[in-house]
Amino acid sequence: MRMTLGRAALALVLATGSAPAFAQSGEITVWSWNVAASSLESTIEGFNAQYPDVKVTVQDLGNQQVFDRTLAGCAAGGAGLPDVLSIENHEAEIFWAQFPDCFTNLKELGYTEEIAAGFPDFKRVELEVGDVAYAMPWDSGPVVMFYRRDFYENAGVDPEEIKTWDDFIKAGKAVAEANPGVVMTRADFNGDTEWFRMLANEQGCGFFSSDGSEITVNQPACVAALETVKKMYDAGIITAADWDEKIQANTAGTVASQLYGGWYEGTIRSTSPDLAGKWGVYRMPSVTEDGPRAANLGGSSLAIANNSDNEEAAWAFVNYALGTNEGQVTMLREYGLVPSLLSALDDPYMQEPQPYWDGQKVWIDILGTLDQVVPSRGTPFFGDADGIMNAVQSQYLNDGFDSAQAAADDAANQIALVTGLPIAE
Amino acid sequence: MRMRTRAAYGFLAPYLLIFATFWVWPIIYSFYLSFLATRIQPWSFNPAVTWGRLVVDPAFLNALRNTLIILVIQVPVMIALATLLAVLLNSQLLKARGIMRFAFFAPVVVGEAAYAAVFRLMFNADFGVINKIIGSIGLPPVAWFGNPTAAMALIMMAVTWRWVGYNAIIILSGLQAIPQDVYEAATLDRVSKPRQFFFITLPLLRPIILFCVVLSIIGTMQLFAEPFLITNRGGPGQATETLGLFLYRQGFTVLNFGYASAVAYTIAALAILISLANLWLGRSAK
Amino acid sequence: MRSKSASTFRRSIALHAVLVPLAIVWLFPIWMMVVFSTMPENAIFSPNIHLIPSDRFWENFLILQADTDFLRTIFVSVVVALVYTVLSVMLTSMAGWALARYSFAGKGLVLSIILGTLTLPYFVVVIPQFIMVARDFGLSNTWFALIVPPLFNSLGVLFMRQSFSMMPAELFDAARVEGVREWRIFLFVGMPLARPTLAALSIILFLASWNNYLWPLLINNRPDMMTAPVALGSLIGLTKVSWGGIMVGAVLLTAPMIAVFVLLQRHFIAGIAAGAVK
Repeated sequence: MRMTLGRAALALVLATGSAPAFAQSGEITVWSWNVAASSLESTIEGFNAQYPDVKVTVQDLGNQQVFDRTLAGCAAGGAGLPDVLSIENHEAEIFWAQFPDCFTNLKELGYTEEIAAGFPDFKRVELEVGDVAYAMPWDSGPVVMFYRRDFYENAGVDPEEIKTWDDFIKAGKAVAEANPGVVMTRADFNGDTEWFRMLANEQGCGFFSSDGSEITVNQPACVAALETVKKMYDAGIITAADWDEKIQANTAGTVASQLYGGWYEGTIRSTSPDLAGKWGVYRMPSVTEDGPRAANLGGSSLAIANNSDNEEAAWAFVNYALGTNEGQVTMLREYGLVPSLLSALDDPYMQEPQPYWDGQKVWIDILGTLDQVVPSRGTPFFGDADGIMNAVQSQYLNDGFDSAQAAADDAANQIALVTGLPIAE
Repeated sequence: MRMRTRAAYGFLAPYLLIFATFWVWPIIYSFYLSFLATRIQPWSFNPAVTWGRLVVDPAFLNALRNTLIILVIQVPVMIALATLLAVLLNSQLLKARGIMRFAFFAPVVVGEAAYAAVFRLMFNADFGVINKIIGSIGLPPVAWFGNPTAAMALIMMAVTWRWVGYNAIIILSGLQAIPQDVYEAATLDRVSKPRQFFFITLPLLRPIILFCVVLSIIGTMQLFAEPFLITNRGGPGQATETLGLFLYRQGFTVLNFGYASAVAYTIAALAILISLANLWLGRSAK
Repeated sequence: MRSKSASTFRRSIALHAVLVPLAIVWLFPIWMMVVFSTMPENAIFSPNIHLIPSDRFWENFLILQADTDFLRTIFVSVVVALVYTVLSVMLTSMAGWALARYSFAGKGLVLSIILGTLTLPYFVVVIPQFIMVARDFGLSNTWFALIVPPLFNSLGVLFMRQSFSMMPAELFDAARVEGVREWRIFLFVGMPLARPTLAALSIILFLASWNNYLWPLLINNRPDMMTAPVALGSLIGLTKVSWGGIMVGAVLLTAPMIAVFVLLQRHFIAGIAAGAVK
């Protein structure tokens, strides 16, 4: 009964575009990070046009803090949690496994199957357990290469010609030579496995099989990804930099490319406004000439805390920000968050040339890869696997293993030890 | 002294209450937890995933190794430096005593978060002032956060910077308790200053230095804030992950309370063992 | 005599040749903290070396304040540290008094437990302590949780015990003969006599609480009850926040303690050195 009512309300909102008959009121707080937080803030105006009496506060705690504090809050029985929580997809299952009671079942608030069907399955699989939907998909992160047009031009490098990672290495050396003080790209080798995960995902591999039942990190595709990362590292075209340092390098003009999910568009645009017209986008290279050139990195969801005093208002906000084209396209336009709501992809904005990107229609380029992305399951053990891979990768890059296979085998054994899962044949 | 058991426990009661509630009980509870699999609700008895995992977990052994490396390199260097500083700061010849003391003692009051932030900026690979200084004398920049050895060195430098003054204060107070006439007699007997240091000062300071060593060992066993904040959670990879940080990660990022409890017990046992071994070595050397 | 003064002179040179460079190295991070806090963001991340303070302190402070309401976190830190210090001084003095001035059944046991906890890393209890306070008691995000669990402090008890046991017994016996109750003897005879020790202990406890990072990080989730070190730590790793602002926070966190150190150096040093008193 409640579900029908929720849908009726939604229909009413969509039909009239004004405040619904039983408007929500109160204050809700949202935890988020970086541009994701800013983009949620950018939807508040549109949301308040429909729900003028709900005051939304978005707190930017930083990515790691949101995760740590959400876990600590859930461990404390929900104490101190805000109404709405941002959760990264690949870490989401940790929460549902440990603290199923910490989050509200969105289906009880009006998240119908029809609304849910508006999102791709690979986004939903980690957020729903049986009949319970713990979170609503938000954005996704189709991976592309962001690059400095001027640096590439100085070196006579045409990004269209970069089809393989070997091409990328060759181009990287040329770029470094033609632009003193500039390095081809940066990766967070010291604290993250992002590059390995992007390349592995491109090759159709991940820490775990897609049903989460086996460890696949030492399968050939993952080994090839790890080996490729090392090849680039040894060639000196990638140097280490964490999230902050990458941005510092972007603004200082000491880096020529960044490989990231599409959401990095907004980060570059908002943190380096002076470099408008100098950046461009091209598809990520592959291991082989005609190999796959699409991957996904990141992508998040919003959940509602079970002890929220204002679940209805929180749901109204979540459903506006994530479940409407208006909300999703606002976040894309302002901060480059790539919608996972399928209907938003047909929005005319996607076709527009982007002035910051020298008139390139970047969204066509970025979203064009979305349907080729192979899903990669986080599982409740993502944190363990990622921590182990992080250490193994660091050791491997510093020549601590004879081969990529040996490194990947070691990681697989460690993950098996920690998780109790079998290693895939 | 007359027995005054009731009065005594009256005074001890509030303190013992806090002790029982917030220390004794958690320690007992955590022993129980260390046998449980806590990854999936509901928790179940399964020591194989806690104690059983501990002895074969490479990540734990890595953290243990890192901690022991710090213990073996940083603690002796710091205590030697602290002893040297204490002797020098105690010298009658010292000018600008106030500023000198301030320089070495001030880091003691700087909080972990504050000094971690400064060290991160100073040692930033691209724009850090340390690499700029290194570069200005013609040496290549050091990847302080990227090279495992450099990152470890950075942690040790940071800890030494922060704690050497603390130990120097303790040793200095011990120095000042040594009666002057001992030295006067030695000087009359034409014993040189360096010999006085090695044959009078050091033996008399032995218990105090030993105390500093034990304090430093316990501190190192739970070293957390520096690798957490300065090298960004034990990076690169887990090259600077210490036992304290490993425990934090198990306890609060993957939320494996059972395993974390087993780790905690192991750390405590090691800390006590190493401290006792030191005390024993210190005594038997007499 | 000439050679004597010449050798003194040489020794003096050698002494300063060792100490002065070391002192400069040791002061450098604190100096750079001040320098960074006054620099605009783009100067911190520029290829040039800046070793002299600039003029952006106020601007950086405004950024910091806008990001975290840093003044509020300082206020929380002051309240927590003050209440903690008062309570902890009371508790440790009482316990130290009992252990110094009475013989009673179980004294040896209590004393050895307290000595034993000295060698126990705090990290061992932090996880079960967290589970208990947060989950079982449901006390996350309370002043109680911020202040009370860290009150247990063995070193303080031993320090106070040392101080009380050095006082002559006649002082207290005289009062007892006149029928003064034990708690009055403690409060009005023992405590005033222990004033220098109390001063030293208070400073050390205040400093410990002021800089406490791990426990408040774990037990508190509410932004309006965040302590200043936790707020500062949480800024490291954010993108929007300026490093100049973080450095202003570091300066604001450090400057009061430096001032306390300079003004009350004697008590301060006594407090730290007390660790060595057996």
